[in-house]
Amino acid sequence: MTPMTHPFISPVDPVRHASQLTRRHFFSRSSLTLGGAALAHLLGRDTAVAQDGPALGGLGQPHFAPKATRAIYLFMSGGPSQLDLFDYKPRLNADHGRDLPDSVRQGQRLTGMSANQATLPLAGSAFKFARHGAAGHWISELLPHTAGVADELCFIKSLHTEAINHDPAITFFMTGAQIAGRPSLGSWLSYGLGSENENLPAFCVLTTKGKGGQPLYARLWGSGFLPAAHSGVKFLPQADAVPFLKNPEGVTAVGRRRLLDRLAELHHDEYERTLDPVVNDRIAQYEMAFRMQTSVPEATDFSGEPESILEMYGPDVRQPGSFAANCLQARRLIERGVRFVQLFHQDWDHHGGLPGAIRGECQQTDQPCAALIKDLRLRGLLDETLVLWGGEFGRTAYSQGKLTAGDYGRDHHPRCFTAWAAGGGIKPGVSHGETDDFSYNISRDPVHVHDWHATVLHLLGIDHERLTFKYQGRRFRLTDVHGTVVAPVVA
Amino acid sequence: MRWRGRWPGVLHFSRGGLACRLVAAGVVVVMGGGGTVSVWAAEAPVDFNREVRPILSDRCFACHGTDAAKRKGDLRLDDRAAALGVLLPGKTGHSEVVARIFSDDVDDVMPPPESNLSLSADEKEVLRRWIAEGAEYQGHWAFQPVVAPVVPEASGLPGAPRNEIDVLVAERLQKEALSLQPMAAPARLLRRLSFDLTGLPPGLAELDAFGEAMTASAADPAAVVAATVDRLLASPHFGERMASDWLDVARFADTFGYQSDATMQVWPWRDWVIRSFNENLPFDQFITWQLAGDLLPGATRDQQLATAFNRLHRQTNEGGSVNEEFRVQYVEDRVETYGMAFLGLTVGCAKCHDHKYDPMTQRDYYSLFSYFQNVDESGLYSHFTDATPTPALSLGTVEQERERALAAARVVRAEAELALQRPLRRGVFAEREQVGLAAAGDGAWPDEIGRFALDEIKDGRVLNAVNEAEPGQVFDEVAVVPGRHGQALQFSGENNISLSLGGKWTRDDAFSVSLWINPPAVMERAVVFHRSKAWTDAASNGYELLIEDGRLSAALIHFWPGNALRVVTRDRLAVNEWTHVAWSYDGSSRAAGLRLFVNGVEAAVEVVRDALTKDINRGGEDRLTFGQRFRDRGFKGGAIDDVRLFGRALSRLEAAALSGVGSLTPGGAGPGPLVSQDDEFEYFLLAVDRPYRDALAGLRDLRRARSATGDGLPEIMTMRELPSPKPAFVLARGAYDAPTDPVSARTPEFLPPLTGAAPANRLGLARWTVARENPLTARVLVNRLWQSFFGVGLVRTPEDFGVQGALPSHPELLDFLAARFMDSGWDLKALVRLMVTSRTYLQDSTVGGDVRSKDPDNHLLSRGPSFRLSAEQIRDQALRAAGRLDPAVGGPSVDPDQANRRSLYTFWKRTMPDVRMDLFDMAKREVCSARRPLTQTPLQALTLLNEPTFVSWARLVAEQAEAAHADDGEAIITIFRTLTSHRPTDRQLQILRELLVEQAAGSSLEPAAARRHGLQAVAQAAMNFDESVMKR
Repeated sequence: MTPMTHPFISPVDPVRHASQLTRRHFFSRSSLTLGGAALAHLLGRDTAVAQDGPALGGLGQPHFAPKATRAIYLFMSGGPSQLDLFDYKPRLNADHGRDLPDSVRQGQRLTGMSANQATLPLAGSAFKFARHGAAGHWISELLPHTAGVADELCFIKSLHTEAINHDPAITFFMTGAQIAGRPSLGSWLSYGLGSENENLPAFCVLTTKGKGGQPLYARLWGSGFLPAAHSGVKFLPQADAVPFLKNPEGVTAVGRRRLLDRLAELHHDEYERTLDPVVNDRIAQYEMAFRMQTSVPEATDFSGEPESILEMYGPDVRQPGSFAANCLQARRLIERGVRFVQLFHQDWDHHGGLPGAIRGECQQTDQPCAALIKDLRLRGLLDETLVLWGGEFGRTAYSQGKLTAGDYGRDHHPRCFTAWAAGGGIKPGVSHGETDDFSYNISRDPVHVHDWHATVLHLLGIDHERLTFKYQGRRFRLTDVHGTVVAPVVA
Repeated sequence: MRWRGRWPGVLHFSRGGLACRLVAAGVVVVMGGGGTVSVWAAEAPVDFNREVRPILSDRCFACHGTDAAKRKGDLRLDDRAAALGVLLPGKTGHSEVVARIFSDDVDDVMPPPESNLSLSADEKEVLRRWIAEGAEYQGHWAFQPVVAPVVPEASGLPGAPRNEIDVLVAERLQKEALSLQPMAAPARLLRRLSFDLTGLPPGLAELDAFGEAMTASAADPAAVVAATVDRLLASPHFGERMASDWLDVARFADTFGYQSDATMQVWPWRDWVIRSFNENLPFDQFITWQLAGDLLPGATRDQQLATAFNRLHRQTNEGGSVNEEFRVQYVEDRVETYGMAFLGLTVGCAKCHDHKYDPMTQRDYYSLFSYFQNVDESGLYSHFTDATPTPALSLGTVEQERERALAAARVVRAEAELALQRPLRRGVFAEREQVGLAAAGDGAWPDEIGRFALDEIKDGRVLNAVNEAEPGQVFDEVAVVPGRHGQALQFSGENNISLSLGGKWTRDDAFSVSLWINPPAVMERAVVFHRSKAWTDAASNGYELLIEDGRLSAALIHFWPGNALRVVTRDRLAVNEWTHVAWSYDGSSRAAGLRLFVNGVEAAVEVVRDALTKDINRGGEDRLTFGQRFRDRGFKGGAIDDVRLFGRALSRLEAAALSGVGSLTPGGAGPGPLVSQDDEFEYFLLAVDRPYRDALAGLRDLRRARSATGDGLPEIMTMRELPSPKPAFVLARGAYDAPTDPVSARTPEFLPPLTGAAPANRLGLARWTVARENPLTARVLVNRLWQSFFGVGLVRTPEDFGVQGALPSHPELLDFLAARFMDSGWDLKALVRLMVTSRTYLQDSTVGGDVRSKDPDNHLLSRGPSFRLSAEQIRDQALRAAGRLDPAVGGPSVDPDQANRRSLYTFWKRTMPDVRMDLFDMAKREVCSARRPLTQTPLQALTLLNEPTFVSWARLVAEQAEAAHADDGEAIITIFRTLTSHRPTDRQLQILRELLVEQAAGSSLEPAAARRHGLQAVAQAAMNFDESVMKR
């Protein structure tokens, strides 16, 4: 698709200006123009095997008018407790310490960590809940900032998944399948919608630095069987945010530009001798690499951010790699035309000592999440940017391990949990789905992972049943053969 | 459909508002839509396999195909007899199919709009013509027997064909008015051959020698090429090159994958692969060993080692995972790897339902599943220990294994001597003065090391009457309740008492535990006592007494279930009543040496496992704990009283006495009716007779020595068939907990069965896989080898030879190669030689625009192969160019940052692979993969330009040239040749000279340093130049 320009991108680049002459020199000698076509090759061409028929490539254009053009996914890895954040269940406080009734459990499987537990004592949340905003969303005292933007948020309280262990569950959320090998959500978007900019990858990944908990791995942002160019590019919290971005020691910017100009001369000469289109792709490959060397540092440099914005994200924003810094980074990438930014924040896996541990995670994430919403709103970007918040499963109403005064743990609970969404195409103020008095079973409007994915794609202008890729003789979809758009949350 | 080139005589007409194109007779069409290039003349009848099946398969079979469960309208189009109701041969006007596909009515048209599928005008016309011509079906090409084609004489064909490959390729080219290209220039040829046969670039001396030889024998360059090919085939790097491809198929990696992704020691298998390629092990044996080497008569260690192929799948150790869920996934991975590696089929599509496109049923899938599950394995590898998942093969050195065998032989001899001693000690026993076994008194019994009355808890401890210094620790408020004698302890399932005594007993120590227990119910599972870190996610390493389904279950475990012994009592325990239990173990590592006494009588037991060969002391937590275990079900509501520990095996007499049935004291209650002379003699030997006890201690020492030689040896996961197969079932929707119909091991029904008797196990499957009648294996293998050298397979979908896969571009060539391969005795080196000495392979890859436009993707093989080097080759080339490559073959995998070893040996962590390799499209190695994409991305450019090791290698290339050549031109030529194998053209040399000059000038360094700086830039440019990352 045609790359869109964006008002926030500054194309001015002193180094490029310095070498303009040389560049003009070689471009003028070539009958080639480097533009959309070469870029398209660059962004997805498999040089060995051409794509199958025309219907099977990238979409070319969205299936219908998108409600959002970009998205940020704040993934809370480990499984945050819906019971202590959003899904208010006073019944658990009333029944605190009693065993989970068999009538509620209904023989559902538990993980091997608590399946052998002698008792399953219910644990009421240690935190106070209150209603917030015109919508009256229940939000716990752990999230005062999120409560402050409650009217921008739409809650889904009836998410459910099939996996009960982290690895399959995270893989399910990220790729639509529990087993490894499928493309990630961001890869599907990159593949389907293409890039909105020529200087940055379409799909960027940010992980909170220094977190323990469940490990994260490249598969979660991998392209699976889609061309590797659709993989997420992980930004690191350092000057060299993208692998090997910085020129080696002793190489100046001007020296590098000259070297690339000579390399381009070699490649133009090579093309004329071989007529191999691969050589043209290589020219584009090196030009984009060069542009990234300036566009990435520019995108990751917060020095131009006003103090008021930094303060809004909270003090952690000054720590590179913190969740706060990553939220601000996400906004900066989005405004530069990055299609999809995937954040991961680990350590929500609170099997024991939950009240203390969850407080720490909330302190790190609450203010930045709210700031991101406000910041996007402030810049007029919220209407076209979909923001998602959630983990891979919820947590049990009963305590894993011993229930004592003021302390409890919660095991994995795939049967119901809460996520929120905001921004482009989302109906704010809505709370969709309900759980029973124990937040153990869904009592109304279940939303499966596939439905969640179908809705995300829908908001971005994609019919989830029609975004397919043929691999091993089968047309694969993010939503497999399932998924229904959750219409009540769509504006 | 894409139309290429100029097509005189194309006829345009309209029907139903859609533009259709028909091709006038005699005009040749190149078609790209159905997934392959097919060429045919339009007046020929429609070819079912080439033209019709791809359309039916892709657009119709999902609802009207093989999957009975998803079939709509009870109509199937994959079977002629079943389809005849809707397609009337020769009568298109009466065929419902024709009416429906040409319909304008959204309610009638097929495929229906909601399927998101449609037929193009041309496709509709193909179907119409096919029906008009009689609607004949053909079997899918890949399932038909391999028949060697008659290859015509080469004479008359242009381009000087050298072997049968060339004839079949040239014939086809001739139809397009194309011919084979001249041979590539020597430098290009040697680069191609070196990378394809060794994975490494040629050295400068090799380039010089080859160039000279080619010039000298310009009349017969074939001889020079043949000699070079022989030299490269004999190189130890040949095995490494072939192994690279095989490791992708085998999903080889150095870690288990999933979330904690611990190290998996499987590199010895990788070294076996390299060795097998170098020794040219016939490929049918290469396959057979990997699938079923353990089942070969008198299997050698290598034959067993080869079966690690089936264990390279990912495994989890995530706490709380359901064992069976993951075990099933592992078996599925084996089945799907087998299917893709050897049959080129996507068998995984038949896991949840019948395959939608291929005639593979769900029953076929689970019948294959049955072959691959008959090993004694766990769904979890050990979270808390480094024990190798079972089944495992010991991989000590020859010396170590000999030592262990000697030590084991000493144990066997000592056991035999002990057995001989027993009758001799009878005499002494008979002559002893007193019958009453005086050694035993009311105080400590012989070898009693702990006695816990459990009458009270004081300061969180329970007293040890025979050793005050070793009390028991109470964890978390255990209840004191009335007991068998005085008080007892009652457990909640979460609390416990634990002892340091007994925590370090090994499998070579004899030890016994006596206690009273009172279970509250028939318990499905409860931990009575154990020494271990955790439940099965620790592989259960240690020893344990459980209640399972109301029965006592006692085990010593290295890795459950494959390296362990377990006995389970036949009778259930009494409920709500005190039962005396004595565990007596003799240190023999045998189930027979572990006896359970219930109320003083030896219990009849079932031996569940009897294969303990390694230590039971891993995972930490060296304590003997009662009532509870991490992540396991504790002895909830159960009570324990009077725990006593002994540092040896107990005799029947003692067990009876401990239970109150008899007494050891003279003048006491006296031996009850259960006690015989034999019982007394047994007691005498174990507790009294010093010489016999000394001999037992000697045996224990020999066992410890045996364990010391063997317990630390490395092991590797392999296959070892269980004596009888595990029950196998069709799993509904593929769910591990939804078994339906039972199935047994058999090969897929749509493929020819194996003729002759074959066992219904992996060996039978291996024999079937490599049988001459198997239509797939050889085709699939030669196709992947072709892909390896030519970039693209003759079948472009090496992972899918099924109905949805691509058709072969040169079917006769594929069959010729497959037949030749099998008939040669599966001689891989001969097949490689045949391919790389063909004129087809040796062609130049640079061609004029007319050839390119006639054959844009080189599917017709109108020129030599040209594609990017693999991730490994790019790194190895730079490393070699830098003069830093360590050419050693084999060994443990190494840290990619530290190592100058070939990329093949760099550690591959599945969840966080080396980013440099990953960026260059290295296979992920999570699942079987038959081809890698070859992409070009900006991140690759940044890697070669800026990544510190690549930069340092480029600088080393420059420094070597700098030292060797005072002349700039010579230095540039050397750098360029080292990285691209080519002498630069004048133009290239000129550009690089300019680069050198301007970089040196721009550096503001003194002249010598400036020159070095300039040459480094030249080396960087050369390393990033297209010719350096390509094999043309």
